[in-house]
Amino acid sequence: MSTENLTANLYLLTPEFVLAGFALLVFVLDLFMPDERKDLLGWLSVLGLIGIAILSIAMLVGVDESLYNGLLAVDEYALFFKVFFIGIGVFIILSSIDYVRQHLNHPGEFYGLLLFSILGMNLMAMSRELLTAYISLELLSFSLYVMVAYALGSPRSNEASLKYIIVGSVSSAILLYGISMVYSTLGVTRFGDISEELKAATDVSPALWAGLALIVAGLGFKLAAVPFHMWAPDVYEGAPLPVTAYLAIASKAAAFALVIRLLAEAFVPVADRWDQWQIILVVLAALSMLVGNLVALAQRNLKRLMAYSSVGHVGYILAGVAVLSTDSLLGANGVIFYLVGYSVTSMVVFAALIAFFNATGQEEIADLAGLADRQPFLAMAIAIGLFSLSGLPIFVGFTMKFYLFTAVANEGFLWVAGLAILTSLISLYYYLQVIRQMYIQPALAASNEGDDHGSHVDAEDEAGGSGDNEDDHTHTPAHHDPASDYVALPRPSAALIAVVFLGLVATVGLGVYPAPLLELVESASAAVMQGG
Amino acid sequence: MVWAWLIPVISFAVVPLIILFGKRLPGKGSPLAILAILAGFAIFWVVFAGFLSAGPETEGCDIGVGTKVLTCNFQITWFEAGIPGADTSGFDRIEIAWGITIDPLTVSMLGLATFVALMVQIYSLGYMHGDPRMDWYYAFHALFIASMLTLVLADNFLLLYVAWELVGLCSYLLIGFWHERPEPREAAKKAFIVTRIGDVGLLVGILLLWSHVGSFSMSETFAAVAGGELSDGVVTASALLLFLGAMGKSAQFPFHVWLPDAMEGPTPVSALIHAATMVAAGVYLVARAFPIFSASDTAMLVVATVGLITALGAATIALVATDLKRILAYSTISHLGLMMLSLGAAGYTAAIFHLLAHGFAKALLFLGAGSVMHSTEELDVRKMGGLRKVMPVTAILFSIGALSLGGIPILAGFWSKDEILIAVNNHLNPVFIVLTLLTAFLSALYMARAMFIVFYGRFAEQFEHVHDAPPTMSITMGLLAVFAVLFGLVALNWPGAFDGIGYFIIYEKGHGLEFVIWLAAVSTVLAIGAFIYGYLAYARKSVNLEGARRKFAWPLKVAEGKYYVDELYQWTIDRVVMSLSRFVAWVDRALVNDVGINGPGDVTRGLGEKLKYHVTGYVYSYVLVMALGLVGLAIFWWLVSR
Repeated sequence: MSTENLTANLYLLTPEFVLAGFALLVFVLDLFMPDERKDLLGWLSVLGLIGIAILSIAMLVGVDESLYNGLLAVDEYALFFKVFFIGIGVFIILSSIDYVRQHLNHPGEFYGLLLFSILGMNLMAMSRELLTAYISLELLSFSLYVMVAYALGSPRSNEASLKYIIVGSVSSAILLYGISMVYSTLGVTRFGDISEELKAATDVSPALWAGLALIVAGLGFKLAAVPFHMWAPDVYEGAPLPVTAYLAIASKAAAFALVIRLLAEAFVPVADRWDQWQIILVVLAALSMLVGNLVALAQRNLKRLMAYSSVGHVGYILAGVAVLSTDSLLGANGVIFYLVGYSVTSMVVFAALIAFFNATGQEEIADLAGLADRQPFLAMAIAIGLFSLSGLPIFVGFTMKFYLFTAVANEGFLWVAGLAILTSLISLYYYLQVIRQMYIQPALAASNEGDDHGSHVDAEDEAGGSGDNEDDHTHTPAHHDPASDYVALPRPSAALIAVVFLGLVATVGLGVYPAPLLELVESASAAVMQGG
Repeated sequence: MVWAWLIPVISFAVVPLIILFGKRLPGKGSPLAILAILAGFAIFWVVFAGFLSAGPETEGCDIGVGTKVLTCNFQITWFEAGIPGADTSGFDRIEIAWGITIDPLTVSMLGLATFVALMVQIYSLGYMHGDPRMDWYYAFHALFIASMLTLVLADNFLLLYVAWELVGLCSYLLIGFWHERPEPREAAKKAFIVTRIGDVGLLVGILLLWSHVGSFSMSETFAAVAGGELSDGVVTASALLLFLGAMGKSAQFPFHVWLPDAMEGPTPVSALIHAATMVAAGVYLVARAFPIFSASDTAMLVVATVGLITALGAATIALVATDLKRILAYSTISHLGLMMLSLGAAGYTAAIFHLLAHGFAKALLFLGAGSVMHSTEELDVRKMGGLRKVMPVTAILFSIGALSLGGIPILAGFWSKDEILIAVNNHLNPVFIVLTLLTAFLSALYMARAMFIVFYGRFAEQFEHVHDAPPTMSITMGLLAVFAVLFGLVALNWPGAFDGIGYFIIYEKGHGLEFVIWLAAVSTVLAIGAFIYGYLAYARKSVNLEGARRKFAWPLKVAEGKYYVDELYQWTIDRVVMSLSRFVAWVDRALVNDVGINGPGDVTRGLGEKLKYHVTGYVYSYVLVMALGLVGLAIFWWLVSR
């Protein structure tokens, strides 16, 4: 391993360097940008991300190389996730610009942090060595700790961040401890070397199991898989809504990108050990499905509902991860496709909820009452998103579950596939509760609107002085004329509408015609399962 | 040619646009739907030209196995399911394609459907002007025609079935479009439920074929049938099951009851249903699956018999009906019966030819009826008379449609009806040809009756102030009239240019225009005789109908009662179905709902309520659970690995 090897193909990291430089640029610009024009930073970040995505595609299609002596991979798998994460970033920024202006204090830093977290996620998809993976993970985590705490004035945001940091540090410690134990028993940390060592070893010390269990627990925290999920509802609830969306969509997908590569390169090739892994993963998956979906039944807050439902979805994906195999790409395809479908659908729901929050400052399920009359487009978007999440055709939720559960059943885990279908059925119940609120319950009288969360002023700003909203203070429900018992919500901003609309198009489009995306997914999973 | 898929897709694409933004668009989004179908019509010509210039060497094209005609297939994979890598010809893995097939049958149907839909949509601009739900009307219209176009393009039975159901859904939505009144609601339900019964047959037939062939692809299915891979029983059973679907959609006896009631929808919708979409689908299905039908003599005989019964029965009802639109409806049923009869008599070309010729004429007649109804708000023919005085354009155009459909020589309907007569004469028992000629006579007679009562004879004074149709309506009717007159010419041999439809829409082998002189003579005499008699009886009133009425009081009553089929169904539903339903409802309420659903539901919800308290809100408990989980995980792993 000469030193040339370390730097010869360094140019392959250009997109990452550009992204890092760009994030710093946003921080610097933030210092000079007058407060009322900080929105520009958001738009700039969007443009920059799109540019980086184009750059990555132009540079890296068909490349399959390893950097820094095998620490980072630049292959189709990494490229797929890079573009995927950047896409999520773009949509998150677009849907948070209004929210950031109205509710948060330091917009420039918000966007800068977001860009850094995307960098962390990109590196997670590329790492093929334990410590590199750990550092990438921390880059993501630290950005997220700050972002969760971003609503400075809100005690709930602060509480959430504190909890997140404490539990996160514990899990980091656990992960590091696990890495050190694996290193102490096997003497290597690169994924490929681990599998070589395991294949060669006849008898391994029990410390290895302990180390692996520690790694699983550490990553389980990131995934919010049961029993390492308890932080999720609190943090999701307390974080600013766009950050909740980001946590639910991006950080989860990034953790899975890391887990898939770790398992595919280090453990799947070792057949007899992989059998044990499968049992562990399937049990975690089953627990997550059950607990996530059952507890979601009892939630009243939308963000908590989404948190528990995402725990359930992690269960499904884990079941797919358990059936990764060197012989067949079915499992990997299913998992990656599920990640994309889940992200697209969640994006629709969250963007619509952000728009709802911007207009009303509310986030309880009961607050959605009558939304179908007040803002039919948002109600439709949320309804379609939830139908998709529960797995109904013609939406992508059906297609993704179909592929994933087929892969699970095909590998012989029929009971897991059965449980997945059963819990999907349960999920339909609590999703339908939300839809029932929007479409069947009459709208609440407008007078109690916006008083709960200290954002009343913003709601009125957004309404642009429409007469209805100013009456809020004087009206009591008794004075309401039954015919005009609800107040139409102001229109969401164009960026939000665009995000929701594109998300809906993707939700239906991928549900009806998934073949093109599946081809891309297949090239990614082939790169990670068979290449390297 | 491959761009044919765009024809339905454009119309599909405008549906959500009209629904979402129609309220804010000019004309409530109607121009969008019209432009979409106009684009489809334009692409049709490109496809048509491409198909005419294509040969077996063209990419994607081949000589069809069962049909022996040039067939072009284009497909992309929609999705795969099953065990990856397994052979798709078996049952371990299926691959479902979005596929289109283009052959003479498809091309003809595309032309008819896009043209009639375009005319109807333009006509609707005038007819539906000012309707508060015009956006929904046009959205449904676009969806309707897009589904029908998909249906005729589909190269596999699964896609065909999807489109088939969409067509049914759209007809439900459009028949019940004015759902504020109870009649359209009931009619829509009736149409949906009655055709549904047939649809079940179609689905079972498709699955039966799939279970024996292992593929939904039509060409593979037909190849299997042609290759004798299926037993005779399976072929006959699947043909009859497919025919059940066709009977529902094409309103064949005993499923014909929905079509007359479907008149409750807006009249342009009736035109579309009767000429180009809904009812044409059944005839199309039988023609498309003709390799299966022609492999079974039993199935062919059933098709012919059902067709004849329908044709004759509906013609007699049409003769005594008093509602203008219902006369046309029964006329459609009768002509659909003739098409089925023709298919059953191996008259493949004749059936499709008649479908096209009838489509143009019937669309014209319905739009004419719509024009009458639009200005008079009256549909009872007994109250009308001499309307040509106030609406001359409509009168002339309607008469052209009636004469064409009645089979007056050189108009389109004459040629196609003649072809059917020849097919029936050549392939079936003499009883059939006699009854077919009787049907032909009756069909000329009821058209004469409708035309002469409404537009000729003594002027009904109360319509003094009635106006003729606005330009959007009369121009579209005029264009349709051109086809109703001239379309028959495609049957002829045009040296150097076109050998006649007998060499284009063919099954297994082409043949030139056949002309059996005695049949043509008899049918011409019957048709002209019918119209003369109609003129004397209904316009001049110089024939005493009352005498005949008294003499045939009993059969008249039966025909006016529409053979009491509706009553029979109602009785069956009231007595048999309802008592069964009550029992099922009880089981559902007591066992399924209270015990089966609510029981597990309550348990699940209770579990959720209990379990939610495991998240306490205290960080130290979270970390504790993580630690415990970690220890448990390590122990579990150790156990597993032993």
